[in-house]
Amino acid sequence: MNNELIKITGLRKSYGNNEVLKGIDVSIAEEEVVVVIGPSGGGKSTFLRCINYLEVPTAGEIVFDGMALDGKANINEVRKEIGMVFQRFNLFPHMTVMENLTLAPMKVRGASKDEAVAKAELYLRKVGLLNKADAYPDSLSGGQQQRVAIARALCMNPKAMLFDEPTSALDPEMIKEVLDVMKDLADGGMTMVVVTHEMGFAREVGDRVLFLDQGVIEEEAEPQEFFSHPKSERAKLFLSKIL
Amino acid sequence: MDFEIIKSALPLLVAGAGVTVEITALSVGFGMAIGIVISLIRLTGIKVLRVLGDIYVDFLRGTPLLVQIFLVYFALPGLIHHQVDAFFAAIFACSINSGAYVAEIFRGGIESIDKGQMEAGRSLGMTWWQTMRYIILPQAFKRIIPPLGNEFIAMLKDSSLVSVIGFEELTRRGQLIIARTYASFEIWLSVAFIYLIMTFAVARFVGLLERRYKKYEQ
Repeated sequence: MNNELIKITGLRKSYGNNEVLKGIDVSIAEEEVVVVIGPSGGGKSTFLRCINYLEVPTAGEIVFDGMALDGKANINEVRKEIGMVFQRFNLFPHMTVMENLTLAPMKVRGASKDEAVAKAELYLRKVGLLNKADAYPDSLSGGQQQRVAIARALCMNPKAMLFDEPTSALDPEMIKEVLDVMKDLADGGMTMVVVTHEMGFAREVGDRVLFLDQGVIEEEAEPQEFFSHPKSERAKLFLSKIL
Repeated sequence: MDFEIIKSALPLLVAGAGVTVEITALSVGFGMAIGIVISLIRLTGIKVLRVLGDIYVDFLRGTPLLVQIFLVYFALPGLIHHQVDAFFAAIFACSINSGAYVAEIFRGGIESIDKGQMEAGRSLGMTWWQTMRYIILPQAFKRIIPPLGNEFIAMLKDSSLVSVIGFEELTRRGQLIIARTYASFEIWLSVAFIYLIMTFAVARFVGLLERRYKKYEQ
């Protein structure tokens, strides 16, 4: 087992009287790929968004790489190290692909323009979109936009990547190109937390599955084990519906 | 209709129109500076600032510009024990008034930008202000060009109110010429026509800008 990178203890999140996360404890090691699955409304996205404090937890502690998040003082420090990919891509529409990729490294990391461009070219090549550097996001397909979004996050040299249903907004024929990029990343040793409905990806790429339902981790297992021998009734019910 | 009167009055009126454009441009310019500050402090989580911003906007939008001009020109000198000249009073009153409307325009523009943009910026480690400056505001600016153009047109017309404190813009010039010539019909018609030309030109210009920026809109 590698070193622990993310440690989450007693994580709770409520919106008014509605408690979405009801005490989550999980530890994620370096280079581990954790896939979070479960029914809609079970708290998967909220869980993911708490890890980099896009949602501020109601209770509990998140420690990233030895740094305890407190929501104020060091939140930008921690976010530099955690890349995030959204369901709706969230590229900056008023900037070219290249500008999307170089903005944060220059403004946050203080990289020079040449450094930022070199790195952007490296990752654009990696996701197969170097020829789109000067294009605006709106001129790209959904799959291409999501690959740009992944490259944008990678340009910050993050220690971990969070994926929030990265293929849910894509047309079916574009899902594979995005999953392939994610698989490459996983093979390259990136620590990843992935919320997804792609069970094939979970089974093939995941090191561990978290089954999140009604705000708790109902089951936690290696993918093969989870998909072939789910233990909890709710996991069995969920898998019977989708497989 | 006496065209000779119009012809001889025209240079004075056009000069007055220049003054109208000047106070409008200055007022909307200062108004934009005030408006962006007010809209940003209302968007921050700091409650005291937000309440102060709300009071500012509510007060200036909820009272007539004419009364605000009187407040600045007649009431303010009593407070600061110093005479206020008409030019300063005109610009000051129109600017703070415009600021309130521009603040609302900016707020609408900023809030119209998808929340995912702020989240994407923040998740890359950028601060709230960096994300505002590089991501949100540039996109919001494009969307607020039309309402900002409307604000400019409104101020072009409303600036006629500063004629009541004797400030010689287009409307006041008209009054003064009529006092001399009694050619009420010819002069007011000319004044109206000049306002129309100016508002029409601004509207066309804004339409042009709007079309130019359309290409990046999704």
